[in-house]
Amino acid sequence: MSGIEEIERRARAIAERALEAIAAADDEEALGRLRVEFLGSKSELMRIPKAFAGLAAEERPAAGRAFNRARSAIEEALARRAEELRRARLADLGASEAIDVTFPGRPPQVGRLHVLTRIQREVETVMERMGYHVEDGPEVETDWYNFEALNLPRGHAARDMQDTFFFNETEDLLLRTHTSPMQIRSMERLRRPPIFVIVPGRTYRRDATDASHLAQFMQVEALAVDEGLTVGDLKGTILYFAQSLWGAERRIRIRPSFFPYTEPSFEFDLSCGVCGGVGCRACGGDGWLEVGGCGMVHPNVLRNGGIDPDRYTGFAWGFGIERIAMLRHDVDDLRLFYENDLRFLEQL
Amino acid sequence: MRVSFEWLCDLAGVHDLAPDQVAEALTLAGFSVEEVRPVDLSGILVGRVLEQQPHPSSRTPLWIHRVDLGDHTRTIVAGASNATPGSLVPVALPGTRVPGGTLVRDGKIAGVPAQGMLCAEDELLISDDHSAIMLLDEGHPGQRLEELLPSDAWLEVEVTPNRPDCLGHLGLARELAAALGRELDRPFMPPFTGGVEPPGTDLVTVEIEAVDLCRRYIGAPISGVRVGPSPRWLRRRLYAAGVRPINNVVDVTNYVALEYGQPLHAFDLARIAGRTIVVRRARPGETLRCLDGETRRLSPDMLVIADAERAVAIAGVIGGEESGVTERTTDVLLEAANFDGVGVRAVSRTLRLRTEASSRFEKGLSPELALAGARRAAALLAQVAGGRVHVNWVDAYPRPQEPVRVRLRPEQVDALLGVHVPLQEMEDILRRLAFQVRVGEDGYWDVLPPVFRLDVRLPADVVEEVGRIYGYDRVPPTLPGGRRTSWLPAAPSRDRRLDPLRHALAGAGYTEVVTPAMVSAALLERLGLADRVMRVINPISDEQDAMRTALLPSLLQVAVLNRNRGRASVAVFEVARAYLALPGPPRQPEEPLRLGVLRTGLSGPEEGRAAFLELKGALERALDAIGPVQVDYERAHAVGYHPGRCARVRVCGRPLGVVGELHPETMACFDLGGRAVALEIDLEPVLAMDLRRRARPLPRFPAVERDLAVVVDEAVEAAALEATIRSAGGALLESARAYDEYRGAQVPGGRKSVTFTMVFRSPERTLTDAEVNALVERIRSALAGEHGAAFRA
Repeated sequence: MSGIEEIERRARAIAERALEAIAAADDEEALGRLRVEFLGSKSELMRIPKAFAGLAAEERPAAGRAFNRARSAIEEALARRAEELRRARLADLGASEAIDVTFPGRPPQVGRLHVLTRIQREVETVMERMGYHVEDGPEVETDWYNFEALNLPRGHAARDMQDTFFFNETEDLLLRTHTSPMQIRSMERLRRPPIFVIVPGRTYRRDATDASHLAQFMQVEALAVDEGLTVGDLKGTILYFAQSLWGAERRIRIRPSFFPYTEPSFEFDLSCGVCGGVGCRACGGDGWLEVGGCGMVHPNVLRNGGIDPDRYTGFAWGFGIERIAMLRHDVDDLRLFYENDLRFLEQL
Repeated sequence: MRVSFEWLCDLAGVHDLAPDQVAEALTLAGFSVEEVRPVDLSGILVGRVLEQQPHPSSRTPLWIHRVDLGDHTRTIVAGASNATPGSLVPVALPGTRVPGGTLVRDGKIAGVPAQGMLCAEDELLISDDHSAIMLLDEGHPGQRLEELLPSDAWLEVEVTPNRPDCLGHLGLARELAAALGRELDRPFMPPFTGGVEPPGTDLVTVEIEAVDLCRRYIGAPISGVRVGPSPRWLRRRLYAAGVRPINNVVDVTNYVALEYGQPLHAFDLARIAGRTIVVRRARPGETLRCLDGETRRLSPDMLVIADAERAVAIAGVIGGEESGVTERTTDVLLEAANFDGVGVRAVSRTLRLRTEASSRFEKGLSPELALAGARRAAALLAQVAGGRVHVNWVDAYPRPQEPVRVRLRPEQVDALLGVHVPLQEMEDILRRLAFQVRVGEDGYWDVLPPVFRLDVRLPADVVEEVGRIYGYDRVPPTLPGGRRTSWLPAAPSRDRRLDPLRHALAGAGYTEVVTPAMVSAALLERLGLADRVMRVINPISDEQDAMRTALLPSLLQVAVLNRNRGRASVAVFEVARAYLALPGPPRQPEEPLRLGVLRTGLSGPEEGRAAFLELKGALERALDAIGPVQVDYERAHAVGYHPGRCARVRVCGRPLGVVGELHPETMACFDLGGRAVALEIDLEPVLAMDLRRRARPLPRFPAVERDLAVVVDEAVEAAALEATIRSAGGALLESARAYDEYRGAQVPGGRKSVTFTMVFRSPERTLTDAEVNALVERIRSALAGEHGAAFRA
């Protein structure tokens, strides 16, 4: 091989062949092979510069130009074809890579929080927005905090409302029957009104277990002590709470009742969510669902907590967390919450 | 309390309301009506039994009756045998729905035509008794039962323990009238006092020895009584209130108890030895055969009514059989007394005997009520049993009840209720409730509650009276809006601070459970966990007689329940308290918050090991979710855990619990198959740690990562190798963590290969290969020297 003409002819021929092959390539893999074939270090085109040594010095620039022309023509063709193929592939993506998007998803294995924990948190959140503060305290209590300080002296018939588990024969160490001992403990700890606290926790009563009674259950108790608190404030607070938890269309009512630690005392009811308060089967016909107990803190209780009942008044209200969960999730048997059948927990 | 609608409305003077309306008025006044049951007897007839024969072929005993219904006879089959020929019985014909709910059908029972039903008392809602056919003592065949027992309704009313004055129809009638804006036109104290000589004080003597337990004892002698059936109106009302008539004398005492709420008792005066009543404590060893036929052993802490010789009644609880009224009785001693509520409650609990009388006395009745009850009963005995009531009853009343006066300013009512109640309305309400109001010139009111209202002592009590009759639905809801001058800064509760831990565990596949804190002491003992257990002395069952000292048994019970219901593997956790008794005299225990996690249903040692490592990983993630704590482990032995697969968990150097595979014996104890991994740690110390996360400067130079496969004897543990690597690696070693363990062809027997990933980095420059190689070389020789390690390529 010699002579500038020969070199120019060969470069042109290679480029022509290459362009033809590139135009015919129909995927990116084939283009890759052609790049090696036509531009690789062992390709015919790359052998051309080795022949420059036999050329006269004045012929070499022309030979170099011929070589470069061929190389850049091939490179441009490769890039152009690659772009064409890429566009074609993307245009076809919807068909070529389609999957069955209706195939069921594969959820990760996760657990969940117990429904009572979640309800408790929801209750706390509502109350915290109103400036209440969560307090917790002992479940194994003394007679003083559970009964005596709450205006329930020994031998009082009202103690029968709260059948009690005891740890000793003198019956002064017991399982708290309600969260109300924390009324006294909170007043003692915080000392100076305004006191706005909420106490969630486990409580215990010596009741035979059935669908609506448990020996161990959870209560939430709210206590407010300040100057000038009224029954109206109690009603408003419960209404705010009920509407936050169940919806703005709900109403509440309070009915006179009796607890030794409040005076006056009430039960509070929530308007039925099924019939809106007209009366239906869900609410037993009277339009109201019983939720919990409440009242104005008895002056003796304030005094036992170290608060001057002539200056301050207070209100307290409480209910079972399970009761809230039952109303929320249509659960008809309390025992389900503590049995922990995972099929039940996973529904809620 | 079961209340007759007819009786209540008659006393209250209310004739224009339906039972549901009365129920609502009572409920809103504080007397919750739990149930309203109409008793419609319009379809029931009176029948006379002509013949009674046993069923010839039925396997259960059945009786075939021929019943005369006036214009025809029918064949009726019944299971009870007490409707003997001649009996008058209530009959429901086919197509009738009896008040108890049963629809009577025409048909055959065991081959015999059954053309109706003979009713028991429960079917007519007269009592709970289903053991026998109700026998009527009047009426004629074919008569409508309603002519004898008018249709009524009964209300089940919940009377709160502070209102024993409303354990009678009269008290509730006063409340009903007040709630409806009306006033009762009947005085509390009946005027009747008797009029026959000689005076009662000549006929009996009464001595109260135990003045602490008996505040008043009235004995009214009534002579010439003719014992027999009560008139129809009286029997009907007893039935309506759920009490079966016995005879006119006993019926009157029951009637007055149901009317006034004052329990009464009638003795046969001829059987009271020495015509003397002594109210005293029982003598040691004394016994009494009671009206229910049982003989009870009495003890000196019990109050009895005795005659000159022996106990004749247990005070406020039950009468004695021998001194009771019979058909032969002619002279009666009517007892109307007041016994200490706490004392009666204690006796009733000791004897496990709760009666109509004891349940009233135990709430603390007013001694003034005794006289009202005595007068009413004496008048009725004269009326219905022809008794001659003597003048001057014995009335032992050593310490008369002090009058109560509550001083308050009427503004206090508005201030506590949060609504303005006009003064006139306030006064009207109190008067309707039988309170007296004296308006003072100083702006104070003196409010005098009626004698039977022992529950009203404080201004707040008076406010309650006004409020509940005024109507709490008229109190507008408000929110406390005072200008607060002090407050508590917001802070999450301890429990809420643990929520990220809960969420992390849930994200790792564990479901939170909430299990009872009371467990079986025997179970704790079997598991070796009874060390500091608190035992309940009056458990309901031995399944729940102790406070748990650990969460693991409860979690295992959850696994058992789910296994029994078809789920062989569970992954659960609980955050809850353990209860740990303190030494010394009984006192409040420690109640530390714990975390327990359990995963069951694993098969084989390899799966057990993998689950163990996963559990450790989950724990580290969960703890990291609440704060940047350091967790490490050391081999340990713990009760209930596998001896070779258990580690102590240390958080920031503090041992807080254990993690491991459970011992096969533990699994066997719960009858669980397969393997399980579990952990239990104390959360209290973690909550007390500094859990704040602090940002550090990001590294400016790249890290170099190297793997190292270390071949050592089986007994050498990863933690020990890691410690050596760290100390040999020095400051430039950023981290080192074992990630693979291998045994097999390339490792000699009795040895294992542990692969570590090590990351080297300098805060000041990019490390060169040569530097890192030198460090790795140093680490290799330290491992070889301290642990006899070899290395795989």
